[in-house]
Amino acid sequence: MDLEKLRKTAAEIVSREDVKYLIGWRQGTFGYRAAPCFVEDAAGAAELTFSPLCSANLATYLTLAEKLPVPRGKEPDSRKTALLVKGCDSRAVVQLLVEKGVKREELVIIGCPCPGMVDRALLAEVIPEESAPADLKWSGGGFVLVKNGLETALPRDRVLAEQCRLCRHPNPVVSDILLGEPVQPWEVGPDGGVDEIEAKDVADRWDYWEEQFSRCLRCYACRNACPLCYCKDCILDRLNPTWINRAVNFSENTAYHLARAFHLAGRCIECGACERACPAHIPLGKLNRKLAREVRDQYGFEPGLDANAEPFQAAFKPDDPEEFIL
Amino acid sequence: MLLKKEKWSAFTQALAAGRLWAPVKQDGAARFAPVAAGETPDLDYDNTTVPAKTLVFPQTETLYRYRLGQTAMELPGPGEEAVLLGVRPCDARAMEMVEKLFRWDVDDPYYLKRRALTTVVGLACKEPGANCFCPSVGGGPAGAEGMDLLMVDLGDAYLLETVSGKGEALLEGVKDLLEAAGPDAAAHKEQVVREAAGKIRRGVDPAGVPEGMPGLWEHPLWGQNAAACLGCGTCTYLCPTCHCFDIQDEVEGFDARRCRMWDSCMFAEYTLHTSGHNPRPTRRERTRNRINHKYNYFVQKFGVIACVGCGRCVNLCPVNIDIIEILRQAKEAL
Repeated sequence: MDLEKLRKTAAEIVSREDVKYLIGWRQGTFGYRAAPCFVEDAAGAAELTFSPLCSANLATYLTLAEKLPVPRGKEPDSRKTALLVKGCDSRAVVQLLVEKGVKREELVIIGCPCPGMVDRALLAEVIPEESAPADLKWSGGGFVLVKNGLETALPRDRVLAEQCRLCRHPNPVVSDILLGEPVQPWEVGPDGGVDEIEAKDVADRWDYWEEQFSRCLRCYACRNACPLCYCKDCILDRLNPTWINRAVNFSENTAYHLARAFHLAGRCIECGACERACPAHIPLGKLNRKLAREVRDQYGFEPGLDANAEPFQAAFKPDDPEEFIL
Repeated sequence: MLLKKEKWSAFTQALAAGRLWAPVKQDGAARFAPVAAGETPDLDYDNTTVPAKTLVFPQTETLYRYRLGQTAMELPGPGEEAVLLGVRPCDARAMEMVEKLFRWDVDDPYYLKRRALTTVVGLACKEPGANCFCPSVGGGPAGAEGMDLLMVDLGDAYLLETVSGKGEALLEGVKDLLEAAGPDAAAHKEQVVREAAGKIRRGVDPAGVPEGMPGLWEHPLWGQNAAACLGCGTCTYLCPTCHCFDIQDEVEGFDARRCRMWDSCMFAEYTLHTSGHNPRPTRRERTRNRINHKYNYFVQKFGVIACVGCGRCVNLCPVNIDIIEILRQAKEAL
């Protein structure tokens, strides 16, 4: 990715009168972090970056934007939001379009073909994370860490994030402007994480998830980081009636995670934002990818590819075989 | 006193005769877990993901149980003594800070009871994490505040320093395993602590920030830093000094309990009024409150910054909202 071109394009777009701000990534404040950032003017575009640390799914911010009541006599701000997207971010945008969560005419989409992101924890196993922000690049099919002018090559297989290893759509599926050349999609091997759970018997599977969900703190980072978890009125926040108790224990935590997983079946675009956000290291990706696999295998449907698709869970077909109904 | 490392197993076995909690590593992260007889805790860890506060201020705590339609209440039992082994100086100091709050207007029996029953065996830091900044906020890699006993790793032995009567009593029970520290132990400790402090790379001098906060109320820095905030509770739930809680009744059939659970000022419904009005309507106000609570309100009330510089909120924020950076900006704007 030519960063100069990215910044120049962003500066032009954000200078347009019909654009409110541009959402992109900037270098983080420490170690192996990049941070989402909001650019409001051409000068701000200088801090934009695109590196193997830019794993945050920016589509999350489309529905997270806070709309305060418009004072009497004033017009609501109808300017567009510009957004940098990788393949997964763009699929989230498409799914939001399908669900009418956002309107296409309110967006300016800048596509960034993505060669894959690193996993912060895997990277830290190879080279411990330091206080200073690290400079990471793609190079020759792998990654390179640049420090004091010295380059350390990192084998792609060792540090590539799991969701990226399994990614089938690294190029943006929707964009107004595409920066750089599309990348060649890579060979996607079996999803070992899901296979491993499927191979367990029911009791072992239960034990596995009991151990995982018992650790959950219910900080809701997974829900809030998810670009497709955007209900204005979430059942988790409801106290009257209380669908899921505030108490943090295995039973309530499980109710929470299963409710979320089912609400995402046929909608999850497998970006891994939930698992990345989880401070308790719960492998939420496995849960969501299992349901995505079922939807793919049973219905041949993959969400986030076609903005004109019917919303999967809301679609009904009279010729549905309904084999599961006795 | 000195504890040679070959006696470590025997030492922890002696402590495990009672209720002993120590860090265990699982899936790449450490957390406090009960140590069973026969297990030997491994202290090779930076810090637990969830602070040690969870053991004296559990995330969900039953205040009392009752049955619908009846007036009798069942109060929780008297509790059990416990030893927390390997608590980092930041976490121990935070327990002491939170205690100020729980002693403030009324003594909170739940927190204070647990605190009284708990013996904190702290462990000085040798390898601070990438986002540790305790010296900026009055702590240090071998700070003993909030501990009963401090352990310093001197290589082949731990130097044990008693901080309280509880710590002394604990050592009395294992005195056969200990030996007197030699004359050079103090110098050795000082060297270890100095080396650890030298490895801390991040920080900000908060001088002037508490007094200056009111003047920054409408400063753009709050909106800028909150722009990317997801509104999750990671920063507050993992903060060793955050102490906000909610109280709820939970009913199953006719059995009910009143319990309190951690709450987070980063959640929208934290300040949501019944009327629908929210005095902190956006993440800007919520972020401003989080920082002000630690660096302004708590200072006014209790004379100390309610941040111990453990770096968890920085390290684990999914979108890199960084309290050190916010403070740097606040300082610059003063």
